[in-house]
Amino acid sequence: MQFRRLLATGLAAGALLLTAACAGDDLNSNPSDGSSSPTAKGSLTISGQDWYEAAIVANMYKELLTASGYDVSMTLVGTRDIYMAKGQFPSGVDVVPEYVGGLIDFLNAQANGSEVEPISSADAAATIAAGQSLLDAKGITLLDPSTATDTNAFFVSKEYAAANGLANLSDLAGKDVVLAAAPDCKGRSDCEGGLKDTYGINITKLLPLGFASEQTYQSVLDGESQLGETQTTDGTVDAQGAVLLADDKGIQPAGNLVPAVSTEFLAAHPDVADTLNALMAALTTEKLAELNAKVSVDRAKPEDVAHAFLVEAGLV
Amino acid sequence: MKVLQQAWAYLTDGSHWSGTEGMGALLGQQLLITVTALALALLVGLPVALWLGHLGRGGFAAINISNIGRAIPTFALLALLVTADWPGTAEFGPYGRAGLATLLALTAFALPPIITNAYVAVDEVADDVKESARGMGMTAFQLFRRVELPLALPLVASGIRVALVQVWATATIAALVAGPGLGRVITDGFANTDYGKGIAGAMVVAAVALVLELVAAAVQAAVSQQPDTRGRLATGHRR
Repeated sequence: MQFRRLLATGLAAGALLLTAACAGDDLNSNPSDGSSSPTAKGSLTISGQDWYEAAIVANMYKELLTASGYDVSMTLVGTRDIYMAKGQFPSGVDVVPEYVGGLIDFLNAQANGSEVEPISSADAAATIAAGQSLLDAKGITLLDPSTATDTNAFFVSKEYAAANGLANLSDLAGKDVVLAAAPDCKGRSDCEGGLKDTYGINITKLLPLGFASEQTYQSVLDGESQLGETQTTDGTVDAQGAVLLADDKGIQPAGNLVPAVSTEFLAAHPDVADTLNALMAALTTEKLAELNAKVSVDRAKPEDVAHAFLVEAGLV
Repeated sequence: MKVLQQAWAYLTDGSHWSGTEGMGALLGQQLLITVTALALALLVGLPVALWLGHLGRGGFAAINISNIGRAIPTFALLALLVTADWPGTAEFGPYGRAGLATLLALTAFALPPIITNAYVAVDEVADDVKESARGMGMTAFQLFRRVELPLALPLVASGIRVALVQVWATATIAALVAGPGLGRVITDGFANTDYGKGIAGAMVVAAVALVLELVAAAVQAAVSQQPDTRGRLATGHRR
């Protein structure tokens, strides 16, 4: 009896979930209103990650490509693993807003195992060159990387920076520092490992309080820790009373925004490159930080923020 | 299962147990915090619940107020407490970072089973038994001390036992605010895609929970054997 009831509940819940998932699919695969599609160039599928920055950029892609005549459908997902799975990008999905280092290291790990050394470096062009064979093997073409770059970054409170005359991470060399960061920070060359080995900072303790989280900020501002982890495009640093230290020794892999396009799709639709390259040229790290804050702090919708930027930049 | 093998390898490597951040120290920390939270909950909840049970009044209010501790997710309460100026995230003696906030959140979580069981246990002592006791000339306190309490003890103990195991397993959430205990092994493992480590942490927590459950069951069985009262009551008072 007990078991049957459980089973029935499970089935009911499953059915509900399925219905919800189908409803979601329908919504996503619906082409956008279609108010202005002058020439039908065929359909185009975008995927990407669904956190605020990735969602803003993906919405810019969507609006630009729709305006240039594509019938765009877009599904944003939680992690790169999902849209890079078999049958997705680059076969089922045509365009993905990507980050240079993140994508190259992902492909490298996928091809050579998760234990392999990352092949990315602080330089975007060098990273792409290093990963070119992986991209070719997969059938992915990268368009022009933007100067806008999103990597890990480290902040200190304004008082601590002023008291110790800090502007760069290398100014902290030899100092005893408590670090508040994401739980995966330990030992990583772009996080605790790099701060210790490359910068010679004495990390006495690592508090796993999260990436750019409320708790990480609180810990740094309270003086419990001195250094906190966030990203270069965090638009809230200044408002929270903190300041970013420059990565002057380059421990961060290139985090430049870059459109990743299916090589096959690009061959058939070369105009996509011009459209997206123009967008990459218009974006900067500071601009991205400002747009991020509009979503993460002001709770604006990613599509509205994307639209406002495209209008302001004269791209639509 | 590769992950289970990794977990086993993690568990059997002595270096993972030693040191100030080893599992041995974390286990001790979590036991300490569990026992303290339980003691606090007993101190706060037990006298009130037993007395209200004796009066036979106010139980509805007491049970429902204490049930807030169950209704609010313990993690939400913890998150709230660490953001507040007090208790905040300050180091708290052997309890580590955010120790006080963790203790308070877990105490709130331990209260409902303790209060509910203690109140019901005393309140449900059969009326005819109480009447007989009064007929023998017992004062209210004697009635409570010599009749109600012994009869209520098994149920009270079972409430404490439930609270103990629940608090032990829930104490792992302290890791989410970089607090004390074995939760750190679990969160670190999963954050670094070292699933073996995460599973190993969970296995230790589960194993200790079983041990605590067995110990508590033994204690409960011991206090439930009250030959002088129970033996006599068992005859002639069937309802």
